[in-house]
Amino acid sequence: MTTATTTARPVRRRSRLRRRNTLLGLSFIAPNFIGFAVITLVPILILFYVAFTQWYAVGTPKWTGLANFRKLFLHDSTFIDALINTLYYTAAHLPLTLAASLGLAVLLNRKMRGMAFFRTAAFFPYVTSIVAIALVWNLMFSPDTGPINQLLRFIGLSDPPGWTVSSTWAMPAVIIVGTWREMGYYMLLFLAGLQTIPAQLYEAAQVDGASAWSRFWHITLPGLRPTTFFITVMLTIESMKVFDLVFVMTAGGPGTSTLVISQLIWRRAFEGEGEFGYASAIALVLFVICLGFTLVQFVINRRSEK
Amino acid sequence: MTAADPGSEPRPAVPTASAAPAQPASPDQPAAPARYHRGRRLTGRVLLYLGLAGFAAFLLLPFFWMVSSSLKANNEVFTIPVKWIPEVFHWENYVDIWTVQISAAASNMGSWLKNTMILSVVVTLLQLFTGSFAAYGFSRIRFPGRDTLFLAYIATIAVPWQAYMIPQYKLMSQVHLTDTLWSIIILQAFGAFGVFLMKQFYETIPEELSESARLDGLSEYGIYWRIMLPLSGPAIASLALLTFVRTWNDFLGPKLYLRSPQNYTIQVGLKLFQADPMGSSLYGLMFAGSVLSVLPVAVIFLLGQRYFVEGVATSGLKG
Amino acid sequence: MKKTRFGLLAALALATALSLTACGSGDTGDTTDTGSDEPAGPVTLTMSGWSFQTTPEFQVLVDAFEADNSDVKIELKEYDANDYETLMLADIASGTATDIITIKQAKFTNQWVNQGALADISSVVSALPNNVSGAASYTVNGVNYGVPYRQDSWVLFYNKDLFDKAGIAYPDGSWTWDDYAAQAKALTQALSADGVKGAYEHSWQSTLQGFANAQSPGADVTNGADYTYLKPYYERVLDLQQSGAQETYGNITTNKLTYQGQFGKQSAAMMAMGSWYVATLIAQQASGDADSFAWGMAPAPQYDSSTTGTSKTPITFGDPTGLGLNPKLEGDKLAAAQRFLQFAASEEAGVALAQIGILSSVAADSVTQAYFAQAGIATDDLSQFAISTHDTRPENPPHAKIAAIQTALGEAHSAIMSESTPVDDALADATAKIKDELA
Repeated sequence: MTTATTTARPVRRRSRLRRRNTLLGLSFIAPNFIGFAVITLVPILILFYVAFTQWYAVGTPKWTGLANFRKLFLHDSTFIDALINTLYYTAAHLPLTLAASLGLAVLLNRKMRGMAFFRTAAFFPYVTSIVAIALVWNLMFSPDTGPINQLLRFIGLSDPPGWTVSSTWAMPAVIIVGTWREMGYYMLLFLAGLQTIPAQLYEAAQVDGASAWSRFWHITLPGLRPTTFFITVMLTIESMKVFDLVFVMTAGGPGTSTLVISQLIWRRAFEGEGEFGYASAIALVLFVICLGFTLVQFVINRRSEK
Repeated sequence: MTAADPGSEPRPAVPTASAAPAQPASPDQPAAPARYHRGRRLTGRVLLYLGLAGFAAFLLLPFFWMVSSSLKANNEVFTIPVKWIPEVFHWENYVDIWTVQISAAASNMGSWLKNTMILSVVVTLLQLFTGSFAAYGFSRIRFPGRDTLFLAYIATIAVPWQAYMIPQYKLMSQVHLTDTLWSIIILQAFGAFGVFLMKQFYETIPEELSESARLDGLSEYGIYWRIMLPLSGPAIASLALLTFVRTWNDFLGPKLYLRSPQNYTIQVGLKLFQADPMGSSLYGLMFAGSVLSVLPVAVIFLLGQRYFVEGVATSGLKG
Repeated sequence: MKKTRFGLLAALALATALSLTACGSGDTGDTTDTGSDEPAGPVTLTMSGWSFQTTPEFQVLVDAFEADNSDVKIELKEYDANDYETLMLADIASGTATDIITIKQAKFTNQWVNQGALADISSVVSALPNNVSGAASYTVNGVNYGVPYRQDSWVLFYNKDLFDKAGIAYPDGSWTWDDYAAQAKALTQALSADGVKGAYEHSWQSTLQGFANAQSPGADVTNGADYTYLKPYYERVLDLQQSGAQETYGNITTNKLTYQGQFGKQSAAMMAMGSWYVATLIAQQASGDADSFAWGMAPAPQYDSSTTGTSKTPITFGDPTGLGLNPKLEGDKLAAAQRFLQFAASEEAGVALAQIGILSSVAADSVTQAYFAQAGIATDDLSQFAISTHDTRPENPPHAKIAAIQTALGEAHSAIMSESTPVDDALADATAKIKDELA
């Protein structure tokens, strides 16, 4: 694929070409990979080992085999709660954010007066300090005095939800805020993706009299495929390891109703007895689940590419 | 930083026309909406603006609350019922924030802003360079093990940082990089995020462009520098902005690594105004600082966002 | 395109220049003198602390000690109060922890002992005078790892002006929690025109569980088998918040109410809180962050009348703040550090701390006198009684799994107080989780 001359040639020539390509490819990857390997990959490999040990962040880890995992799945109902909550968050947050950010991007991708302001506004939640976001949304969701429930009462709902102080409604509240915060972020990526779609495709479609919907469906969506794939993979992973939003909004409560995996890792490692072995085991489980999701997405993407 | 520019090839100053045969000449308005039905469009426009204005208010509400709180006295920030407008405007918060001594060592808002700016700029540039460079290797050069390596890259994003931050800290401590700005630069600059993002955008650039460039005698490095980079303007712009904002707002990393107050970033510094539960927090000042810290990012976005709506072809081929 | 590339190049050059200057200045800023290479100079020790601007206690201790010990110099290392344990952990793991380690929260003792970060200082602790309390909180498997220098305990703060306005008699030290609840309701009714609530109970689990654990007969938070003793405390508080006599948990958490604001701005007439609030309240009344009003302290309300009245010793709770030593210390440094720890739990240090509003772990008349000599403090007899006479039980008794136990009980607290789970169910759930942890 790289060189234009990869037609039938002697085998020796081909293997030399392969080696040349490998070196060439690695030379591109090296600047990022070396930094990445030293600073991220090595600690992560350590973590994978530590997951099978008892370790308090100091000294030599004590090998315990599968003990951590046995406890996780058989004797830690908090972990099961957190796993379910994390999947719940991801299942709702992923499609909502995908749809909202794509909608925003299409809506704001036009050369009109004032669009710069609206694009900035859409991105603002991501820039605003997460502490302020958690505070304001908690105020908005306040069951007795919050504007949201006042509105719901006004339109006739006699018993509006308790939102962040109700174990049923806390997770939906967190999902709403998560989507609100991140849609501008992903909108930006969709906007960038939209610029790669050649304009004359739209012009040709207009000449043919295609409707706006059909243009979106037959030109925009296929043209965005690489972007959509990227965003789907990133959103899945980022949703699965959601942490700071939940931490500042509900701290996992009430009870364990919004406790997520990442917070459980934090708790075990930093707020308790310093069980880094156990915390690493939880991280490894999260990693394997995410890897599974990502692989499936890669396979689907590969298939639709062909 | 000319590693991306191995200078042995004969290089034309501007890509020749033949380098871009497949790329269509670009219209001035890519992705422009329909140009007919003018009467209906006017009402449509008014409705669109109204809707967008309401939506913008909804998006800016927390920021508005931040501004309002930044003008309040410390014990008036959290009350029942919520006060959206301060009773007395404490404008002095915006003066005091520059001079108040919150840590024992000499440091203030000005030094925190400077550190944050340095980190954000350096990290962004490194991430842009290494990310776009590595992405070329992953998307355009075929070699054994490539896809596995790429998948490993992506998969590591799934490991929450707090799970391995202590082993990582030990590593950095051994090479005496903790409590220097270097630690954050190294920590943030080599992520898989930029590689993945750039790779996806390269895939929208027709392969024929590179092919004809090769026939013209351009090396792979030359193709990266003269064809791929210029054609991925919006992707570069969005990666730059996202990386900048992420570094600007990062809290836990700088908190863990930067211990001397003169090395603090803005987010770490502002947290000092929030006392532990036993003390009294300076919330008014904290939110004044938060508002100020958002402004540079907002300005950068406002200035930079036109790059997202300029078609690739426009920015790439109009030399 | 030419322009773009030139811009990128220029930006890269700028970045390189910037990063060079940045790191250059970082290096030069890092020239603190370790002082170790001075021949025959004083012994230099490092000590961890937090938020020095608002927490002067470390400097006060060090200054008082250095005045008597010219051969020792103690350098304070500042941490952020909110992330103190996280940052300490990083330093412990990388072997850069200070010589003297301040133990901010007693429940982290176990973790640090597991990590080998604290030295056995049983010899120092056993030599402490009898009037020092709180050392038990730092005892793991019979070995002492910390010397308490500060001991807060929970009392009842009340606003005398609001009580006068409501025409209700001040607390007299005879209250049980039922009396407290009745008075909270009466105050709320009498002050309803001003929208003032009778009581404020902050959202922390300790505001309720701390008292229940300390006062309930036979209760032991570490036993893991039965937590039903918490139930009467929860039922009383749920009744208070449902009847409007105290702000609801939901409103407190969603509006992020601060207890300093609620009591200091006179939104509530009384509040159970740790004695650390005395110094904050005085400071905030002086700065104008809190209103000016007359206030007082009373002993915390009791489980039943067997411990009420000023002739008895009321039971309350609180954790000490302590000092531990880095196991790497030896020789002169170790001896000097041990002397400092002894000093921190002495009457002299207690008086120095009391003068800045910090309650020492040392019980002595001179300490109490210094404490009540502060400007702006309530000096009535009951306030003096509340501060000087109490049986303070540890909030976090030493136990290998105390943090995990408290986490499970904390989940129960938010589930109950938000009224999303019935008391029995939440407590049963917590008990099951704790049993799993202890297994």
